[in-house]
Amino acid sequence: MSRDMMAAFELYQPDTIKGAVDLLGKFGKDGWAVAGGNDSLDWFKDRIKRPKYVVDLSGIGELRGIRETSDGGVEIGALTTLTEVERSPLIQGRYKVLADAARRVASPQIRNSGTIGGNVSQDARCWYYRYGVNCYRAGGNRCYADTPEGQNREHCLWGADRCVAVSPSDTAPALVAIDAKMVIVGPKGERVVPAEEYFIGPNVDITRMTALEHGDVLTAIRIPAEWSGARFYFEKVADRQTWDFPLVNIAAAMVVSGAAGSEKIDKIRIVAGAVQCVPRRLTAVEAVATGQAKSAETASLAGQSAVRGATPLNYNHFKIPLLQNLVTRAIRDA
Amino acid sequence: MADDNDGRGYPEPRFDIPASRATSRRQFIKGVIASGAAVGSAGYLFTLAGCSREQGGARGIERMLQLKINGQVRTVDVLPHETLAMTLRYKLGLTGTKLGCDRGECGACTVLIDDVAHYSCSTLTHAVRGRAITTIEGVEGPNGELHAVQQAMIDELGPQCGFCTPGQIMSAVALLKANPKPTRDEARHALSGNLCRCGAYDHYLNAVMRAAGSGENVSRA
Amino acid sequence: MAHDLLGKNFTPPDVRAKVTGRAQYAEDFRVDGMVFCKLLGSPYPHARVTGVDASAALAMPGVHGVLRAADVTSFPAPQDPILTDEPVYVGQPILAVAADTEELAADALEKIKVSYEELPFTVDPLASLYPGGEEARTNGNVANPGIDLKSYKWAAKDFADAGDGRLPTGAPIREWSFGDVEEGLKRAKLVLDESFVTAGLSHHSMEPRTALAYWQNGKCILHASSQSQSFPVPGVARLIGIEPQDLVFVAEFCGGGFGSKGGAYPIVAVPAHFAKKIGRPVMMRISRSEEYAVGSARSGFQGRIKIGFRADGRVTAIDLYIVQEGGPNTGFNDWLSAADAVSLVYQPPAMRFRGVPVLTNTPPRGPQRGPGQNQIAAAIEPLIDKAARALGVDRVAIRKINAPDDSAKLGAMQGGVTSAHLREALERGAERFGWTSRLARSGKQSGSKVIGIGVGTAFHPAGGNGFDGLVRLARDGKLYIHTGVGNLGTYSHTATSRVAAEVLKMNWDNCVVVRGDSRLHLPWNNGQFGSNTSFTMTRTNFAAATDAVAKLKEIAAKDLGGAPDDYEIGDETVHSRSDPAKKLTYAAAAQRAIELGGKFDGHEVADDLNAMTKASAAGVAGTGLIGVAKDSLPRTGTVPALAAGFIEIELDRETGKFTIVDYLGVADCGTVLHPQGLAHQTKSGAVMGIGLATLERHIFDPQNGLPGVVGLLQAKPPSYLDVPATMATDAVGIADPQNPVGAKGIGEPVQGCAAAALLGAISDALGGHYFNRTPVVTDMIVNAAAGRPPSHKPLQVNTA
Repeated sequence: MSRDMMAAFELYQPDTIKGAVDLLGKFGKDGWAVAGGNDSLDWFKDRIKRPKYVVDLSGIGELRGIRETSDGGVEIGALTTLTEVERSPLIQGRYKVLADAARRVASPQIRNSGTIGGNVSQDARCWYYRYGVNCYRAGGNRCYADTPEGQNREHCLWGADRCVAVSPSDTAPALVAIDAKMVIVGPKGERVVPAEEYFIGPNVDITRMTALEHGDVLTAIRIPAEWSGARFYFEKVADRQTWDFPLVNIAAAMVVSGAAGSEKIDKIRIVAGAVQCVPRRLTAVEAVATGQAKSAETASLAGQSAVRGATPLNYNHFKIPLLQNLVTRAIRDA
Repeated sequence: MADDNDGRGYPEPRFDIPASRATSRRQFIKGVIASGAAVGSAGYLFTLAGCSREQGGARGIERMLQLKINGQVRTVDVLPHETLAMTLRYKLGLTGTKLGCDRGECGACTVLIDDVAHYSCSTLTHAVRGRAITTIEGVEGPNGELHAVQQAMIDELGPQCGFCTPGQIMSAVALLKANPKPTRDEARHALSGNLCRCGAYDHYLNAVMRAAGSGENVSRA
Repeated sequence: MAHDLLGKNFTPPDVRAKVTGRAQYAEDFRVDGMVFCKLLGSPYPHARVTGVDASAALAMPGVHGVLRAADVTSFPAPQDPILTDEPVYVGQPILAVAADTEELAADALEKIKVSYEELPFTVDPLASLYPGGEEARTNGNVANPGIDLKSYKWAAKDFADAGDGRLPTGAPIREWSFGDVEEGLKRAKLVLDESFVTAGLSHHSMEPRTALAYWQNGKCILHASSQSQSFPVPGVARLIGIEPQDLVFVAEFCGGGFGSKGGAYPIVAVPAHFAKKIGRPVMMRISRSEEYAVGSARSGFQGRIKIGFRADGRVTAIDLYIVQEGGPNTGFNDWLSAADAVSLVYQPPAMRFRGVPVLTNTPPRGPQRGPGQNQIAAAIEPLIDKAARALGVDRVAIRKINAPDDSAKLGAMQGGVTSAHLREALERGAERFGWTSRLARSGKQSGSKVIGIGVGTAFHPAGGNGFDGLVRLARDGKLYIHTGVGNLGTYSHTATSRVAAEVLKMNWDNCVVVRGDSRLHLPWNNGQFGSNTSFTMTRTNFAAATDAVAKLKEIAAKDLGGAPDDYEIGDETVHSRSDPAKKLTYAAAAQRAIELGGKFDGHEVADDLNAMTKASAAGVAGTGLIGVAKDSLPRTGTVPALAAGFIEIELDRETGKFTIVDYLGVADCGTVLHPQGLAHQTKSGAVMGIGLATLERHIFDPQNGLPGVVGLLQAKPPSYLDVPATMATDAVGIADPQNPVGAKGIGEPVQGCAAAALLGAISDALGGHYFNRTPVVTDMIVNAAAGRPPSHKPLQVNTA
């Protein structure tokens, strides 16, 4: 438990994306990319993760900024801070769900330095993993949380596969809801990955949370025009009203037609966070709600369908009614 | 005073404090501030052992940094893994910024970087070269005139134990710079990244509102 | 007496330093040649160190040494040691390493090879009491101050008889009773038999207890984080192995303690021992995770209470059993204080208390704001609500009918109190809060939100006596008030000092409060804990100032003729009653005192003073007119601080979240010395009450003893957004007859009453659902609202 002084590392501050990719490719598993540093520095101070080389991306101008794209969507540089995302008139005007999500991340100071790229790429928060035990996710061969008496109140309802940690990000479900695309630059060039595929579960690779591999840099998040100006809903339930990670969060985007009082849901994307290792796209809810009246009845049915097949662990069955209620509210109150 | 107590041939910064010297540290800091001389890395918090010493280029960043702190330029030898909180507290003698958790979970280390509140414990000093850093020591005027927030904190008896107070004041100063007439709810959100274990939130908010000159919800005690 | 100073606000002399960053806490000091030490904490909940190989660490240039248990003062187990070779909790400091830099010390720690023999451990008191259950220590599972460590077991039948969900009531370690409990329960209209759990939680003082020590001319200079100034000196000296007069204790500023830094605590001695061993000043920076380990925590309870009620809500009898989860060491006596609190707050005509203090392999426990009193308030107050609901009695009325007043009795011995006005606090609060009209909103729904209204009460003994005061009228005409009161954030060091100024009719601008460093000749004072300061140190200052007044009059009589009684004081002079022109200024009197010597200028002092006070008086002797005296004013009975809290919340049944719409705290603390200070404590106590009630708890994995709640993010102390934007406060303000200015302390029950009120409001919003557990976290509310059972078993502790 005697931690709290980072071990020495070499620090590199490239000023181009190419420079960063070259360095990270060279360093391989001995390298580590730092954006705002909020997640990384904790690992270093605990001396649990000890990279030899740290690549600070914060000086790369190309990674910042929010701009309109030619197809009517928006592109957000990965190093745009959460405060900038929260306050952007473009985001507030067109994709309010993302602004609302960004506003709920951590605390103001963390939002001032934390980046949207870092927020979606952050590591799991399972307290055993963060403590430094040699679990599967850490490269070992057991899970501590999914045990007969494991203290797993914050863990998953679906997708348990030798790891029961959850996706802790608030912006991730919002980005999946608006069908964002993640732009990644790696040693072999640029690729664009739908947000849903950016997040990976333990069945794909238990040691990482995203599609990023050594040498990759998330450079931008592109949001298509399709959901611009849609009806949105974001809600996060956490122990405290600041700092804390979600117990469950929900992000929904819907296109609604008809007069007030008799609205119909034409299309909907709805995503839950903190119930699975990845943001969970609630396809059953989408199927139930599409084409239906935006009513209390639809909302209730949607909530019930959201939790089918949930497999609670020792201490997290509260997430089932909580998720159900959040889905109900998303449909009812959006 | 320049002793090569390292013995490794590295050019020692001019005002390093060798381990057994009797010179008063306050004199040392004053000397550094007055002369604008560099502050060294040997001693105190960080070891030179195991650290790359080549300057810049292929082996990493140049360690000597120019930092703009409270309106002054300070030249400091900063190690790559050094946080701004540690640089302030252990190299620049600015102990007003506190370490409550060193994890970005309490806000006691809050400073302003270009007028925006940040946790200095979670900031690599090298990442803020060239930015304007303001600490609690830089809030008062050049002749010790208290900032409106500081005076309000006294009048409303904001602090209890005082340990979180510098961080609270920095967040309040940042708030009022960006939003001179906040509502009480806006103020409480702006300060929501500052923990007070004593629980002095009510009085702190009274102070912020008083400093904003709104007269709203100022205590009647 | 009518007050010029007391009852008015003032700017405490230390506030400016706090708002400018000039206030220096232990970690802010720098000394030439200072080296850093870091602690190695146990990775296991219980183990024996079988070998330490520090050779690789010691070979590193810049590493100065390793400190082990054998190098420091030791005490018999289960007292909390400074360092240990048999750790009994994860994180317990085993050794320390000192190096030129903190990073080097951390690198050196990694090179130290420690081998362990793992030993059995437990984080569950009931499991430990079960036959064959694991015990926290190799030679016992039960201990407390005054109770020697031993192995203690209940019978399997005790557990079987209780069934699921009820606390088994095996043979107790302590038991007391008064009245006929059985008869009282028999004649009751309603008897509740409820089992409950209150969680342990860490103090998490904002300032981790960093310490800096060095030796100079045979004395140890120690910069520490301490709530108290004079009180810890003998204990800390003992930890270091020196005489009190050889310790210089600097505690001018303290970043919070909440009971964990009230007296001497072991870890503070590490840098002192290390500095002596290696001949260098040593700075021991304590990190937040280390503060979690060594920074103390509240004891947990598993309890059971049977309460009988008359039809009008009057309690007829109480049968209380508490199993305390007390950490791995001697711990504290929350369990006993809780029983006293219950006897005081509800005034049962008959009561039985039984209890067992059990050890667990978790961080050591010590007093935390209302230790025992506040967690029992959180547990029992909702049950009072439950009874009120069942009987159809108003919840304020049921508390009033049972409330203590001046005739109240406390504890096993049914001793008296100095004054008690809880009924007035409840009445005053109910009226100001609009209790009756708000009650009409109770349970009112709008959408998924529902209103809940709550009221809560709490108590803490709030005063002591027998300590010393020391004041000095100097030749500059100023009054120097020497106080041994610490600076934990309540400003009581100055508030109580103003009594001396009041007695001497000083202009406050001509007064200087001298404090914060044992070199400044401070008197022996009680520590800053137990809500006692406002009572105890108003008395010491009163005594010292009264002594000064007597000496002023004697000097005047000597110089100007007549008898001392012919003279009075005013306008910072001592003058003849009949001819005010016949006078001496205080400055002139100070000069005369020096010329007269003897008792007047501190060269001769009373024999009943504490040794520390005598030494301090000797230190200022000859510098002016010295007023120095022991508080020998009479005190009979307990001084009770009481508080009532009123709250309205809006709870969302779908999310389990609530917002606090309004909160009012009302104090019964006698004469109010410092209105701003009282408002501060009442509101900030409520903030901690919100944490106690709904957010904070320890969690351990029982399979391996690993701690699941360590740092501040995991511990969840309340933030700005978890408390209302504004709170209201009030005070009964009726003087206590046993304090010369009528004051009582207040710091603790203002937390308990808020916790109780909030829990009552949550239960009210849920239509009368009682959790019998603290904290009531979001999960529990979501499950309750959805009609689902909780995840934990009823008496499970240290769990999510």
